[in-house]
Order: sequence, then C-alpha cells, then structure tokens
Amino acid sequence: MNNNAYKENLISRRKEYPEKVFKGIFLLSALVSVLSVIAIIIFVFSKGLQPFFGEDAYSFLEFITGLKWDPGNDVYGVFYMIVGSLLATLGAIVLGVPIGLLTAVFIAELAPKELVAFIKPAIELLAGIPSVIYGAFGLGVIVPIINEISPTGQGESLLAVICVLTIMVLPTIISLSEASIRAVPKSYREASLGLGASKTQTIFKTVIPAARSGILTATVLGIGRAIGETMAVMMIAGNNIGGLPTSIWSKVRPLTTNIAMEMGYASGRHQDMLFATGVILFLFIMVINITLTKLTGKLGDKGRSK
Amino acid sequence: MEKRKRNDRKLKDGILQGLIYLSAILTVTVLAVIIGFILYKGLPGINFDFLTRQWDDRTTFVNVERKAALTEKNDAAYVASLGITLALDNENIVISHIDKDSPVKAALNMKNQAYVLKKKDIITKAGDVKIEKMTAEEAAAVLNEGMGVVRIKIIRPGGGIVPMLVSTIYIILLSLIIAAPVGISSAIFLNEYAKRGRILRLIRFAIQNLAGIPSIIYGLFGMLVFVQIFKMQYSVLAGSLTLSIMLLPTIISTTEEALREIPPAYREASFGLGSTKLQTIRRIILPGALPGILVAIILSIGRIVGESAALIWTAGTVAQIPGALVGSEAGAATLTTKMYWLIKESADLSTASSIAVVLLVLIIVLNIASKLITRVFLTKKGMN
Repeated sequence: MNNNAYKENLISRRKEYPEKVFKGIFLLSALVSVLSVIAIIIFVFSKGLQPFFGEDAYSFLEFITGLKWDPGNDVYGVFYMIVGSLLATLGAIVLGVPIGLLTAVFIAELAPKELVAFIKPAIELLAGIPSVIYGAFGLGVIVPIINEISPTGQGESLLAVICVLTIMVLPTIISLSEASIRAVPKSYREASLGLGASKTQTIFKTVIPAARSGILTATVLGIGRAIGETMAVMMIAGNNIGGLPTSIWSKVRPLTTNIAMEMGYASGRHQDMLFATGVILFLFIMVINITLTKLTGKLGDKGRSK
Repeated sequence: MEKRKRNDRKLKDGILQGLIYLSAILTVTVLAVIIGFILYKGLPGINFDFLTRQWDDRTTFVNVERKAALTEKNDAAYVASLGITLALDNENIVISHIDKDSPVKAALNMKNQAYVLKKKDIITKAGDVKIEKMTAEEAAAVLNEGMGVVRIKIIRPGGGIVPMLVSTIYIILLSLIIAAPVGISSAIFLNEYAKRGRILRLIRFAIQNLAGIPSIIYGLFGMLVFVQIFKMQYSVLAGSLTLSIMLLPTIISTTEEALREIPPAYREASFGLGSTKLQTIRRIILPGALPGILVAIILSIGRIVGESAALIWTAGTVAQIPGALVGSEAGAATLTTKMYWLIKESADLSTASSIAVVLLVLIIVLNIASKLITRVFLTKKGMN
C-alpha cells in the first residue's frame, strides 16, 4: 500500500517535471521582449548621450536648439529636424485622418458588399507595400509634379514628404476606424434614424462620435508611423544641412532620415550624434506609446480571467 | 420655412456624402496610380534573364578539352572543335548555340571545378589571343585553331535578381527560426499561464513598445550591438537577429489572438480527462491555433520582405548569395534593400521598379495566402 503510494507519487513527479520546465521556457520567451526593449533603450541611450558628458562634451542645449548639421565642422544641431519631423507628421495627419475616416465610413456604412470585397483587399495591399516603393513613387511621380508647380523649382520638399506620408498613414487609419465604426451597436443608428435624422446625419452625429476612441487610437498610431518613417521620406525630403522650413516648398530633414543618411559611414562623435538623434526620436515614440497605452487602457486586464 | 430647412439639410447631406465618396475614390485612385507607376516603369525590365541571372557580371577562366572528331557545319561562326556557335552582341562575342555533345559542358575552372558554359556567355580571350572588336567569324577562326586544352576567359553577364531572392529567403528563414519559437512561446505564456499582475503588465507594455519603435531605431541597435560589438560585420545573421526582435510583437499578438479564439470548454474538457496543462497545450491548443500561427508567420514574412531601414546597416547592400552566417562573406542585400540602393546610389529608377514589381507580386501572394488560411479556418469552425 505504502509502496504503491510512493510509486504514484514518483509518477506524478515525473509528469510534473516537464510541466515546470516548459512553464519556465514560456516565461523566459515572454521575457525576451522585455529584455529587448531594455537592451534597445540602454544601448541607444548610452551611446546617444555619450557626447554630452565627460571632457570635450558637446553642449546639449546647442544640440537641441541648433539649426545646422555639419559633422565636418563638428556642428550638430537638430532643432530644425525636430521641426521638420513634426510638420511632416502634422501635415500627414491633417490630410490623412479626414480622408481615411471618410473612406472608412464609406466602407462600413455606404458601400455595397461587392465594392467592399474589392476595396478592402486594396487597402490591405496599400498597407503591405514596402516603404521603399512609396519612396520610388514619391520620387518618380510626386516630386516631378511639385517641381513644376513649386515657386522654388525644387521638387524635394516638405510638401512631397507630407503627400507620401499621408498615403502611408491611410491604411492604418482606415482599417482601425472601420473596425471601430462597425463596432458601434446597430441600435444607435436605429434610434437616430427613428428620431428623423437622415442617414448622413446619423453617420456624422451618432456613429462617428460613438466610434471616436477607436478613431483617436488610429490617429495616434498614424502619428507613430509618420514620425518613424525613414526610407520613403529620405528619398524625397531634400535633406538640407540647416535652416528651419519656411513654407511647404522648403526642403526638410526629418530626424529619421538624418540617421539613415549618414549611418553607413559615420564614426566617432559623428556616429554618437546619430544615436543622439535616435534618442530624440525615441522620446517622441515613447510619448506616443504612453498616449496609446492610456487610450487603449486596461493593459493588465487582457490576461486570462481567473 | 420648413421647406428651406429641409433643403438646407439636403444640401448639407449631399456635400458630406460627396466628400465620403471623394475620399474613397481618392484612396483607391492613389493605390491604382502607385501600382500603375511601378508596372509602367518596371515591367519592361522584367524578363527571364532578370529573374534567373546573377547580379554582377562574373569573369572566369575555364579550361576546355577540344574535340578531335569534328562535326562540320556550313557556318563560319561555328567552332567545330568546341561545338559552339558564336554571334556578335553589342560588340561582344557571345555563345549563341551549344551542341548537345559540346565539350564546353565539361569545362573546368581554375580550381578544377565544373563550370558549365551557357548560352549568352561572353568570350573575351582564347588562349593568349584577346577576342575584342572581332566579328563572330574571326573569333570562330581563332577558337578553331590548335588542339588539346584551351583556356578561355568567360564573362557571364549579370543583371539578375537571383542573389537578392536567395538572400531574402535566407533572412526570412533565419529570422523566423529565431523569432517564431520565442514569439509563440510568449503568446502561450501570456494566454495560458500568466495571471493578472505586474509581470503581465510589464510584458505587455514591452511588447507594445517594441511594436511602436520605428525600424530605423532597430537598425541603429542592430548595427551597434550585432555588427559592431559582436563583430558579425554586415551579415545575414546580424540582419536576422535585428529583424527577429522587430517581428516579436506581430507574432505574439497574432498568435495570442488565435489562442484566445479557442473556447475555454476545450481546455476544461482536456483537464477533465486527466491531461496536464502541457499535454493540453500540445494536443488541444496548439493544433487549434495552427491557422492563426500560420497567419502570424505570413505577416512576418511580409514585413521582412518589405523591410529596409533595419536591414541596410545590419545585413548590408552587397548583391551576393551569402556564403556564411557572419563575417565578410555574409553580407546580403534583400530585394528591398537593393531597390533602395539602386535609387539612392545609382539613381536607377527603372531597375528599382522592376524589383518593385517582383516585391508587389510577393506581397499580393502573401496577402492571398493569409486570406485563404483564415477562410479555411473559418469554414472549418463553422462545421463544428
């Protein structure tokens, strides 16, 4: 009897062993993401903050307020890049959100089924197109057009960047807005229609306000995509070495392209300064991420309900 | 009064509706213009050679044993001892036809490895005689002279995307081998094991952050850590490691969604029959989530195919089939990074567009594949 119990105990322990090992493996895997984020932050920040400390330190104030980037003469200013990045993002959002939202309304509320079956894959394709192709399109189509109409005779400009970024944020905004519009309960629409509102009034006065949190999330994600976009922007921004943009026809040099332009050959302080540019970019992304977390909320509640 | 109000409302509705239609048309038009532009620029450059050739011209010396028994042909450009016909192509002497029993099929390079000559190879030297500015007939006469082994200098023309295709596949496989197990295990932990609390919040926050980091930051990190600190140089492994971190959020969230779809009753039934948690995961949960996992992998492939900023300074832009995982021979340009390089370094928008056509086809195929998997999965579920 005793012997039997011992045996059973042994078997159950033998069974338990892999259970624990695998639970450990799963936990470790999940922690890889945490470690990666920490590693990225540590490496990028430690290298990016290096030039501002120790002997021969570069003034951080000069870095953050500088209007000129001239590594050859040890001048590193990123303020005009920050302005460029923000203006480009702002432009893309101002254009992209209304267009995207209205397209989402069309798909969710107005379009017949057959048309939806055509448009949705098209938008998915738009989302899947690599940014280099957007860059090629910008360079081959948008820049020449701006070349014609610009008073400066220069196609590579803030306007070109805004155009391409608008196209690039569209799929994000459309698909998320559409999902949130579809999530609005039918009874809202029925109530609105029943009170005598027209279909269009219902859409703009009832459905869109009800879907606003999803639309807001879409907008923030769009901002993230626009500010982080590199390759497409690099080909069409002009990448001037200094000076604030004065109009939509001005050349700009967003933060991302500053890194990408010179990463291949930079070394020493020059390379550190590229990482410092990365730190600034990272800070913007952090703000966006935290906003996003606040918006979607309930981070911890998505676990298994026990 | 009433009527005017109604008319006002009609006008307003009309304008708003017009805007909605305009936006939808604009979105679709933009896509059409992009695709149209790429096809217009890129399609003319797509042909069999583009898809099957190496990127760079390759110069090789080969030894060919000449035949003794000669087949005669009534063609002055025919080299009887080698069984090949020559032709002039853009001032180059190229092989235009190879006989079935031609000795050039047994040609050996200087390392005594087989190097089979192909049609369209350019001959620039035979023995010590340079074959330049000759007609095909003169060149044939030069090659026909003498007996025994002849050393020929061959240029195999490039201009094809084979190295980039192979590199892309290498990077896809390598990144997925690293990222898929980690990502799937993470999803299992998050959905099956984790309890609400600080650890879960931390992990989710990390994943959300990873998803938000722009790829150029991944590029910076990969270059610093893998290329410089770990001394991997521009290599497939450095690129794949960088990408696998980048892919984690996609794989984790898509897999998790699939796991969440599996009804709790399945788990309970399995536990009730006496199986352990691990057995339940292996036999019930993973098979059920397989379509979702496949979709996660397809999404990842799509991202790898389209990625450039994170790869250029980790895997490099050399068009070669990587010969090692790390080191100087391991540099590998994917289709996308090469396309960028072409535009940036040589302002060659047409060849870049040809690569873009290939990329578009790949993306469309991947999109369709993920759709099909989801559909099959859904109909299966409907039958249950």
